[in-house]
Amino acid sequence: MDSDTGIGGPAGKFPSTDLSLLAAVNGELSQLALGQVVSLYWKPVYCFIRLKFRKNNEDAKDLTQSFFTMAVQRDFFRGFDPRRAPFRTYVRMAIDRFAANQLAAQKRQKRGGDVEFEQLDENLASTESPEQAFEREWRRQLFALAVDDLRAHCLVSKKTLQFDVFEAYDLTGPERPSYSELAARHRIPETSVTNYLAWARRMLRAFVTQQLRSVTSGEGELRKELRRLWS
Amino acid sequence: MELTDSTVDRLRHVVALPDLTGTRYELESQIGRGGTGVVYAARDRQLNRPVAVKVFDFPLPGEAQLIAQLEHPAVVPIYESGTLADGRSFYAMKRVVGEPLDRYVAKSPSLAERLRVIRRVGEALAFAHSRGVIHRDLKPQNVMVGEFGQVYVMDWGVDAVAGTPAFRAPEPELDQRSDIYALGLLFQFLLPKAPPHALRAIANKATRRDPDDRYPTVYEFLADIERFQEGLPVEAWSEPFWHRARRFGSRNALLLWLFAAYASVKFLLFFLRSV
Repeated sequence: MDSDTGIGGPAGKFPSTDLSLLAAVNGELSQLALGQVVSLYWKPVYCFIRLKFRKNNEDAKDLTQSFFTMAVQRDFFRGFDPRRAPFRTYVRMAIDRFAANQLAAQKRQKRGGDVEFEQLDENLASTESPEQAFEREWRRQLFALAVDDLRAHCLVSKKTLQFDVFEAYDLTGPERPSYSELAARHRIPETSVTNYLAWARRMLRAFVTQQLRSVTSGEGELRKELRRLWS
Repeated sequence: MELTDSTVDRLRHVVALPDLTGTRYELESQIGRGGTGVVYAARDRQLNRPVAVKVFDFPLPGEAQLIAQLEHPAVVPIYESGTLADGRSFYAMKRVVGEPLDRYVAKSPSLAERLRVIRRVGEALAFAHSRGVIHRDLKPQNVMVGEFGQVYVMDWGVDAVAGTPAFRAPEPELDQRSDIYALGLLFQFLLPKAPPHALRAIANKATRRDPDDRYPTVYEFLADIERFQEGLPVEAWSEPFWHRARRFGSRNALLLWLFAAYASVKFLLFFLRSV
């Protein structure tokens, strides 16, 4: 079986958000907001499908793309009721139903033949449930988007040094450099290192909040999601 | 950008930590999470003393002012409130050394000790109600018992807090009677496995579904507990005759013994005279 890539396919990239796909959407959820939903949920939905329905990389990508196409065509996101569940749960349950229906249809086409399930590669065949994988990928994607926002903000506001310090200290593996090493590397006082880190973390928190705000129904859901994220 | 699991975990951790830059406090560790934010152990650098700092997830400036109104021995005093560099609201308060009620109960304290604790909680609640403040989230984790037996009611609620489901009254709009419901559940939690009937009845009355069937005020709840402690009948329970007789007996044991002795002597004298 072909292996998963960093973002889900041999081409090395998930399909970028297809704005023409979103053109059909009108009303409360703007194109921009729908674009946010797709960029945040593409990878979690893909991982969920791969794990739960044991689909290979390409099939999982196709199903994911079909799901978002269906979501736009059928105005699916309008059916979301924040009183019943958070948007994250709504999406996960919807993809569960959608993928199950798709697979049932395939099965019928084969006139009673079983749907073929493939062996998962070692990376995906973990003890983690599909729901847990969905949550994990959702968090990862949320932070990845927020880090991208932070980097872009640093570039625009000419604070690349702050980002470099943050990247070297918080985005590396467990063997991170000490404050003094970072200070020597960038020829700045140690206090600047801690100040830059504090600033970058503060900004990252704001960008995470901003990302979440764009895919939640209001302050109540946003607060619950943030509380869940930090605890 | 592709992030590893460990990087995401690290980011979640460092981004959640409060930025205490510009305050007089130095972060030590996390103590716990409440309905509206996280409480940290910290040190006041200026006064060199331990404090607890509550950092809100969102701007909730009302809570510090609300607690500051409640100057009561069972309410933890607030030292300072403000806004952190990261925009979150915070307040610093006395750091209580003790344990939450659930851990305290696990040590099987005596019934008298349990009743002392619930009365202290009730007194704090009654005081708050007299100031127009309701707690909204009374539960064992929000009651601390100090190392010298002090009792503190923590985490006074604000409008944004809906209460913990297990201790939340069934009515949609919370008021003082909802606090009485939670107090009744707290009392049930505090009671030993086979409590006296009267105490169970008091807890049951406080936790009735219909708010109108509960004690109208915390004072009346406390008065019923006091009646029990004094050996008087409680309002929450119309006790059967044998129970009343037993209670009368235990309250007037000395008198009954004296009467029995007197009757015995009288009977003996009567018997000797007739022989």
